[in-house]
Amino acid sequence: MGIGKCWKFNDCEQPPYPTIEVTVSSADHKATISPKVDTGFNGSLAIDRESVKTLSLAPVGTTLVKTATGHNEVSLYVVSISQPDLAIIQKTLAIGTKRSLVGRKLLEKRTWLLDCKKGRFCIITD
Amino acid sequence: MRPFLEAVRTFKLKPFRTADLVENLGYATGYARNFLSQATRQRLLVAGPKERKREKTFMVNPSVIRKIILKGGREKEELIEALGLHSKYLGEYIALKGFEVVDHDLNLYTLGERIFSDVEGQDEIVITNVGIPKKIITIEI
Repeated sequence: MGIGKCWKFNDCEQPPYPTIEVTVSSADHKATISPKVDTGFNGSLAIDRESVKTLSLAPVGTTLVKTATGHNEVSLYVVSISQPDLAIIQKTLAIGTKRSLVGRKLLEKRTWLLDCKKGRFCIITD
Repeated sequence: MRPFLEAVRTFKLKPFRTADLVENLGYATGYARNFLSQATRQRLLVAGPKERKREKTFMVNPSVIRKIILKGGREKEELIEALGLHSKYLGEYIALKGFEVVDHDLNLYTLGERIFSDVEGQDEIVITNVGIPKKIITIEI
């Protein structure tokens, strides 16, 4: 087993948190973002308000989500996600949240290294 | 909003007259007329087909359904209840086009993939939950 692609932790808060870089696109816009890795999120992507604005996304629905503090209603957006290191190119629903998150749906089927010592989140290769 | 939801619950897609509001919902004629004029101005209702000369009919504006769902909150919940969707789709995600449920699924992403794989008609469709989803999206933070 070896270590493949790694992404640096974001140290804008303490302790720093793992991120993955993904390119998100709408019909007319594209943006590369580094959402926080949230293993408690069972969806694919949550997208923050600023990115929604940048990508000029229009909501296609609303749904209830369960958070640590109870149920919240969030907007739904259709986005295309591209992450070449994970061989991901897909159109999916993203939920609108305060900060961008990557959930388990994008992490599954991979082995990961959470290296807090070196502040990196990496794909483990066979 | 209350009389509008009552109209949705009672008439759904069918056209209705002032007299129908009086008969079915027990409204006073003046109140019914007031509601119709206000709701038409707000585009909640649109003109229906004329059944007899000089007798106007009204219908719920199907595009309002999408707007209310996108706005969310209590009005969305009340609208879904008024549309009678709780009995059939409780705990599921639905895709609505006007009044019509075009698709439904327990899994939000599976439904999204089916609905939005095709570019056409996306602008008219709205996805939402009916009650608390059985397969709810969870976020830890």
